[in-house]
Order: sequence, then structure tokens, then C-alpha cells
Amino acid sequence: MSLSPVQFIAVPLFAAFLIPLIGKASKETVKLVPGIVLLYLSYVALNLFPRGLERPIVEHIAGFNPPFGITLYYGPLAAFLTTLVTLIGFVIWLYSYKFIIREPFEKYYMLFMLLITGSTGIILTGDIFNMFVFLEITAIAAYSLTAFLRDKDGAEAAFKYLLIGSFSSTFVLLAILLIYMQTGTLNLADIALKMADVPITMKIFILILFITGLGIEAEIFPLNGWAPDAYSQAPSPVGAVFGGIVVKATIYALMRIVYLMFNFHSVLHFFVIMGVITMLIAEMSAMRQHQIKRMLAFSSIGQMGLVIIAFGLGTEPGVRAALFQMFNHALIKTLLFFSAGYLVFHSGSKHISALDGLGRDKPLTSFFFAFGALAIIGLPPFAGFWSKLYILLSVADAHLVTVVVLILISAVIEIVYYLRVVSRLYFKRETATDVRRTPLSGLAAMGILAVVILFVGLYPNTILDWLTPAARELMNTSEYIRTGLHLNSGLLSINF
Amino acid sequence: MVSLTTLYEITFGGAILAFIAQHTIKQLRTFIVIVTSALGVYIVWRLPSQATDISFRLGDFQILWGVNEYSQLFALLIAVLGFFTLIYSIDFMKERERLGYFYMNFLIVIGGMYGIVYSQDLISLFFFWEIMTWSSFMLVIYCCDDAQSIGLKYFVFSAIGAYAMLTAIVLIWANLETTSLSVLFENFTNLSSGLQITVIVLFIVGFGVKSAMMPFHVWAPDAYAISPTPFTALFSGALSKMGIWGLGIVLLKLAAQSGFYVWVQDIVAWIGAITALLATFYAIVQTDAKKLLAYSSIGQLGYIIVGLAIGTPLSIMSALFLAMLHGIFKAMLFMSAGAVFYRTGSTDMNEVTGLIRKMPWTFLTALFGIITVAGVPPLGGFAAKWMLYEATIQSGHYFLVIVLFAASTAAFLYLYRFIFSLFLGQEEKEYADIKEAPLTMTVPMVIMALFTLVVGVFPGIFINPIGNAMGYFGNYTFNWDVSSLLNEWGNHVDMMTVVMTIGAIFIIAAIFITIKNYRTTRYVTTKDIHTSGEIPTENENLTYAVDFYKPFERAIAPVLKRSIDKTYNLIAENLESAFDFLRYVYTGNGQTYALYVVLFLAVLMVFAELIFGIQL
Repeated sequence: MSLSPVQFIAVPLFAAFLIPLIGKASKETVKLVPGIVLLYLSYVALNLFPRGLERPIVEHIAGFNPPFGITLYYGPLAAFLTTLVTLIGFVIWLYSYKFIIREPFEKYYMLFMLLITGSTGIILTGDIFNMFVFLEITAIAAYSLTAFLRDKDGAEAAFKYLLIGSFSSTFVLLAILLIYMQTGTLNLADIALKMADVPITMKIFILILFITGLGIEAEIFPLNGWAPDAYSQAPSPVGAVFGGIVVKATIYALMRIVYLMFNFHSVLHFFVIMGVITMLIAEMSAMRQHQIKRMLAFSSIGQMGLVIIAFGLGTEPGVRAALFQMFNHALIKTLLFFSAGYLVFHSGSKHISALDGLGRDKPLTSFFFAFGALAIIGLPPFAGFWSKLYILLSVADAHLVTVVVLILISAVIEIVYYLRVVSRLYFKRETATDVRRTPLSGLAAMGILAVVILFVGLYPNTILDWLTPAARELMNTSEYIRTGLHLNSGLLSINF
Repeated sequence: MVSLTTLYEITFGGAILAFIAQHTIKQLRTFIVIVTSALGVYIVWRLPSQATDISFRLGDFQILWGVNEYSQLFALLIAVLGFFTLIYSIDFMKERERLGYFYMNFLIVIGGMYGIVYSQDLISLFFFWEIMTWSSFMLVIYCCDDAQSIGLKYFVFSAIGAYAMLTAIVLIWANLETTSLSVLFENFTNLSSGLQITVIVLFIVGFGVKSAMMPFHVWAPDAYAISPTPFTALFSGALSKMGIWGLGIVLLKLAAQSGFYVWVQDIVAWIGAITALLATFYAIVQTDAKKLLAYSSIGQLGYIIVGLAIGTPLSIMSALFLAMLHGIFKAMLFMSAGAVFYRTGSTDMNEVTGLIRKMPWTFLTALFGIITVAGVPPLGGFAAKWMLYEATIQSGHYFLVIVLFAASTAAFLYLYRFIFSLFLGQEEKEYADIKEAPLTMTVPMVIMALFTLVVGVFPGIFINPIGNAMGYFGNYTFNWDVSSLLNEWGNHVDMMTVVMTIGAIFIIAAIFITIKNYRTTRYVTTKDIHTSGEIPTENENLTYAVDFYKPFERAIAPVLKRSIDKTYNLIAENLESAFDFLRYVYTGNGQTYALYVVLFLAVLMVFAELIFGIQL
């Protein structure tokens, strides 16, 4: 079997159907399935990566040529994001292996696989309706995972998520309908080509629907009310899934659509402003949280605000910085959710005040939390430093000095609430000891992440070399249209 | 192989090894730490003759590390102080917990400081600066319960400073497309004058925070007081000098090129002088020895800032001289306070008293320390202060001299209190079987104490390398003897004569007192004299050191009352309650969230033209 981008969608989807069946036979085997799948996908990702960088792979599903059939577009950007999703997914599986021991864990793994399917689907698809389908798959898996613990809080959070999420799907679907009415096509590249003919009011209407619909999943303020509850009430690895995978995929969807179809500067400036507001309000709220996972959730929103700012600059360094920040945030926030999960588990309480002195009792888990905290604040020599620096530089290049100052102010707030927790962990007297140990698989998952974070911090070039073509792909829409539709360069002359 | 890369590899590698050793083979830990810092001293010493610049690309930036005589000056201070404080820490930290953590961060701080002084570009400067900041934060919060809020305050102020610096770096990048220091120096005047002054102010804030410049000093007293003493010595001795290192560059390389130089000079010089004066006042009213020294440190840094700001060759010389010397004597003083703490478990000057007979070497170090601070011959402090006053007068800052003089005089009060309450005075019963601190502590202290004497007699051993270092700022020529001070009017102070004279007076006085007291000496317990034979009641205060300067405290109380610290705390509290209010945007109610979504959509629809523009 030759390697192809379809496998990113097909293999986990197949596995998701297979898991309940295997579960009937042997429950223990179920646990291994996602690991094998993700390991295989990581292998596929690493093999396809160089090919994707060389020239985009465009795959036609069921043999129909674009713009009629569904296409998958595997360019540098998709290569980068799918690799990120599979690697993070693998680490999350490793962590879940001993963390999700409650029945019905086969359902957990099934939903998890569906979520991976949905996320990679969003990233790969070249068809807007197909994207909607994958968004729905992701969302439905996410709702159920939020309520996985089947307690009152979880159910409430999932219900809120479902309520807001249904707004999201409605708006996105409406926007897609309007696009189809106007252009008569669902292929992303084809839409981009024909968008120039759409009347301006309609265009803005569609844009607003997309911003609202996808903004909900991408956690733009004030659409992100569901996020803190969902992150904190779901099991910890699910929080990591949301922060590390789901949000990344939806941000990608939003930005792909905006850059491809509505690439004008006033829109991008709107994103800068929304990003700043999202970031500031989230960081300020995070400061006053009493529960560690809620704090992480708000911090996650704040980081997404930062990503949105960088995307909104509409310059190549800006996009590259945004992708870098997405990468780092996925790693670091996952690490933080992982360690917080065991800290909550050991202290027996979700509250930050219960963490006093846990650093002595659980040195490694606490160390990983401290490590993640320093990294996410953006201190060298960790990975977070470079992406924050690149965002600041690209913001300054766009002559938005006020935004630079606001980002730095929010960074100071971030320092306060993260270091408060870190110093509590280490420097308060011990309150209780827990004889249970953090399982090896959990520590291994955290260890892998920590090593990567440090490595990228010391050798940022490794990631930056991949990011530059990825950023160029997002910026260069005519190239996307050309390869997406197999057009000769001579035929294409569109001007935004 | 002597190169910058090896220096970093050894120092940071040693840090990690020390941590690993603590958790595997404990005995190796101390060995690793000492060898690492000793190798650091060796490499730094050999660097100028061997090292070549190192340059490589990291992301979009050209990273450049190189050795020049200015950075060499500070690197030597870091290396030597690091070595001494680590030796000192062997016994001091013996019984403490989490030593792997302690030594790892200690070595990372040292490595970070090397990185700062050897970086020739802004990115690596900031990179190492932040490494130094977080690792020193880790050491500040090493100890106690209330270390939490103190550490946080330290980090927040450091972060504000660092981010001011980062803003400046980002502005430079956006306008000059460079991060190299030398390119920046050449092209600085190409920036618009508004940008020039912004960059200068941001850098001054950035470096000012670390050098505890008012009004950014509030983190310093507590952070100095609470951190473990071996680190405090390095903190005050070397880490604060990183701020001075940067201020030197900003003031003399950047500000000097701009049209605002005169203004910057005057303002910074006055800030320095006020820092010196107020910190001295605060030092006088402290009852904790380490806090007293912390304020004293802030005051001394104020002098250094004045010297840098005035910017004449002599004043720069005096500032760098004082910076080097302060590194040594403040480390000495903190170490002696630490030795007292090691034996008695306290540095409270109202409690600990009369240790002179018990800890003679510690006393000697403290004595040398305070003489150096006071700027009295024959020790090194004299030369530094003498040059600073002369430079200030020469450049016509007469009011500044008055302030500095007042601060310097007032400094005698706290210095005397320090040595009196800890070492002189009543011998208390509870300290009857106190012994001198172990050799690992006394030896580094005494070596440094003797060194201050050597510098006092031969100021040239500092003046000549500093003169070379000043080549970094321009072509200043100094042809000074090893053992004398000169000024531009041709006056000439031969330190040898001064020292001989003072030594002679000292010896004569000693002989005189011995002869005079020889017959009349009568041994009584100190208590006898104090109470004149009466039996004191329990609540009677027998320690002189309590309320030592009560009248003086009353006199300066109005000045101290308006503490800027309180203002900061107030701001922080108000901000927190504002945030608390704000977070209720997230009501936790699904319906509200749905309402937000609808409202958001509605607002975008209604103001679509305004938001997205119509000229699409």
C-alpha cells in the first residue's frame, strides 16, 4: 500500500468503527488500537512531509476531477499541521493509556479516533462542505468527550458546549449554502476563483457568518464562553485534545477561508483587534481563577488570541509566527494539561490551593508543570520564547507598537498566575501525601513533550525551516487555486 | 580548548550534572559544582588571548558572541565571585534540602551572566537575560513560606524590565533590521529622535530594574534578604552588575549619540543620587542585617549609576571601579552576615550580639567590608569615592555632590550599626558556645577582605584593566601608577604614603592603648558594667542594638512613610479586583453565552461597513 494523505482520514475513521467491535472481544486490546493507528499515521506523516514540501499532493476522492469531486490538498501547511496533530495525538494516547481507566474506555478511544479523523479532515480537505462535515464530526466527538466522566459538572459543560456549538454549525452551514448559491461550487480553490464575482454585501454577510461560526470553535471573544467549562470539566487528556488539536484545526479552517476568499486588509485588522481583546480578557480572567484547569483553559484562550493577532497581520512573517505559536502552544499546553491532570488526581481537588507543597511529594509531575509554565510564559531556552519573539517582531514590522505593548502586558499577567501556582507547588508546606504514583506512561508522555520543547527552544531552525513554506502557502492563494484545480499558470489571472 | 562555547557548555552542563548527581551519587555534587566554577574562572581568564568571535544564524537572526575588554571586566567579577560563593556554600548549604535544585539554578545564573556580558547582539543578550532572571527567581523562592510573594514581586519587576528591553529590541528590529550591537551603535542616529529617546528610556528601565534603580528597586530588599546567603552574595555582587553593564552601554554608547544626552545624563544622575540617599535612609532603620545590607547595596548601585551618568572619563572610571569593588565588598558583607546566621540561626540585629570573640575572622571581614563601603583609606573604597567626588565636582554638578556626600555620611550610621550590633556589645549567654564559621566560609571571606586592602594600596590593579575596558566607549588614555591616584589638575595621591601613615597611626594607637590599660585592666563580665551591679528585671532591654537610631528614625520618618512600595501594592490590588470583576463576563450560564454569540453576530452585521470598510 503506497502512502497517501487519504490515510490520515481513512485509518482513524476505520479504527473508530473497529474499536467497539474489538471491545467486544478484548477490552485491553482496545487501548492499544489508537496507539498503533497514531504511530502508523506519524510514520505516514514523516514520510509524506518532504513530498508535501516539494510540491503539494492533490488527491481526488472517487476519481472525480475538481471542481466536482472532493479533493484533498496536502501542501506544506497541511503537512505541518497533520504532523502536529498526529504527534500530539500519539502523546495524548500515551498519556491516556493509564489515565482513562474508567469504563467505558472503549468509547473514549472511539471518540478520540473520531476526533483525530475530524481534525485531520478539516486540515486536508479541499472542499468546503466536506470541511463542514469534518467540523461536525470533531464537534460531536468533542461534546461527548466533555461529558465523558458522566458527572453533573461534565454534563452541564457538555450541554453548554453543545448549545453554542449548534450555533456554530448553523452559521457555517448557512455560509456554505450562500456560497453555493452564489458560486455554484463547493471546491475551495474554485470558490476562491469565483468569489471575485460575488456582490460585496453578500461577501461580507458570508464572511460574518464564517467569523461567528468558526470563531466559536476558535475561541474568539466573546464567543468562547463554552471553552473554560469544557476544558476544565472534561478529563485532562481531553483538555489537551481541545487545546492541542481541535482549536488548532478550527483556527486553520478560519484562516484558510479568510485568506483564500476574503483576503482584504480591513478584515485582517479586525482579527488583530479581536485577537487583542480575546487575549487580554482571557489572561485577566485566568489570573483570578481558583481551579487549575480553568486557569489553563483561559490561558489557552489567551494564547489563541495571540495566534489570531499574528494571523491578522496578513504578512508572511506574521503567519509564520502564528504557526510557530500554534505548534508551541499545542506542545506546551498539552504538557500543562497532562501534569495538571495528575496534580489534580494526587491532590484530590481541582483547586489551586490544594496543590500546596505537592512538589516535594510528586517531584516529576510538578517539575513538568513548572517546565511548561516557564515555557508558555515565553522564557528562554524553551520553545515558547521564539514564537512569542517572532510574533512581537512581526507585529512591530506592521507598525503596531500598541499591540506589542499589550501583548507584553498580558505576558506579565501570565507570569503572575503561572508562577503563583509554581511557587505554591514547591514552596508551601506539604499538606498531604498521596501514596499513588504517577504512572510511567503519563511521565513518558510528559517527558517526550518536555524534550521536544527544549529541543525546539535550543534549535528553533528545525521548525522554522518547515514553517516558512507553510506560511507562504497560506499567503499565496493563487498558487493554491492553481494546484487545487490543476490549472496552467497561464489560465489564471485573478486579482483580489 | 578555551572558547565561549566551551564556557557555556561547561557551565550549563555542570548545572545539569549537579542536579543529576544530587539524585544519584550525592558525593559527586559538590565536586562537580566546584570544578565547574573553577573551570569557569580559568576559561574566562584565558579568553582574551584565545577566543575568537562566534557567529551563527538562529532563525532570522545573526547571533554574535565575542570578547571585549568591557565584558571581560564583568565576566571576571562573575567568575571569581561565583567561585568564592560556591566554595562558601559547601558548608553553608550542607544541611539544607533540595540541593540539586539549588546548585543547578546557581550555575545556570552564572552561565546566564556570562552569556549576557559576552553577547554582541540583542537576541542572545535577551535570551541569556531571561535565563538569568528565571533561574535567580528559582533561588529567591528557595527558602521560606513568604518567599512566594517576594519572589513573585521580583519576577514581575524583572519581567517589566525585560519586556521594556524587548520592546526596545523589537523597535530596533522593525526600524533598523538588525540585532547586532555594533551595527546598532553605528546606525543609532539614523533613527528618528522620538524613537531614539524611546529606545533609550526603555533600555534604561530594563537595565535599571536589575540594578535596583529607584523607583524600580522595591523588589530588591526583600529578594536579597530572603534568598540563601551564598546566592545573595552573588546576587548583590554580580547579578546587579548586569544592570550596570547594560546601563553603561546604553548611556555611553547610545544616549551619548543622541541629542538628548545632556537631559538623560542629568535625569539619570539625579535618579542615582536619590537612590543612594533614600536607600541609605532605609538601611539605617533596618533591624535585619541582610536587609540592611540589601538597602546598602541599592545605595551603592546609586553611586555607580551617578558615575556612569556623568560620563566624564574620571566618573566612568570611578563607576566601574566602584562596581568591581562593590561586587567584592558586598559579597564579603553578605558572607559575614551569612556566617553569623550559620552559627546563630538569625541575622536579627536586635538579637544577635557580641560575637567578636567568638567569630574573629568573620568580624575582620565585616570590618574590612564596612571600611570599604565607607570609603575610608586605606581600603579600596577610598579611591572609588575620591574619584567619584572629584568627577562630580569637576563636571559642575555641585548639588549632586551635596546629596552624595549626605548619603555617604549617613551610610556611616548603618555601617556602624551593622558591626556594632552583631559583633560588639554584650556577649549573650545563649551565644556562649558559638564557634567561628568553618574554613570553607572564612577562607573566601578573608581572601576577599585582604584583596580590598591590596586594592586600597595599589588601586592601579583595578584602574588599569578598567582603563582598558573604557576603550570600548572611546579613546580615553590613562597612565596611572599602580599605587597612586592622579587627577587632571596634576594632584597626586600616593596610596602607599596614605596607607603607611594610617598604619602607623593605627599601630601607635594600639601600643598607646595597650600601655595605658596595662595596669588598670580588670576582668569583669560585661553584664556587671551594664547594670552597675543591680539585678535587671526580665523585661529590661539589655541589648544596645534595639532602637539604635530611634531619634534619627523619628527625624526621617516622614520621608520613609511615603513608600512607593505601598503604591505598587495598591495598584496590584486594584488591578486584581478589576480582573475579578471582569471575569464575570464568563457567567457560567449557557444562555448568556448564546446571547453573546447572537449579539456578536448582530453587532458585526450592523456595523459591517464600519468594521470591514465599504471600499472592498
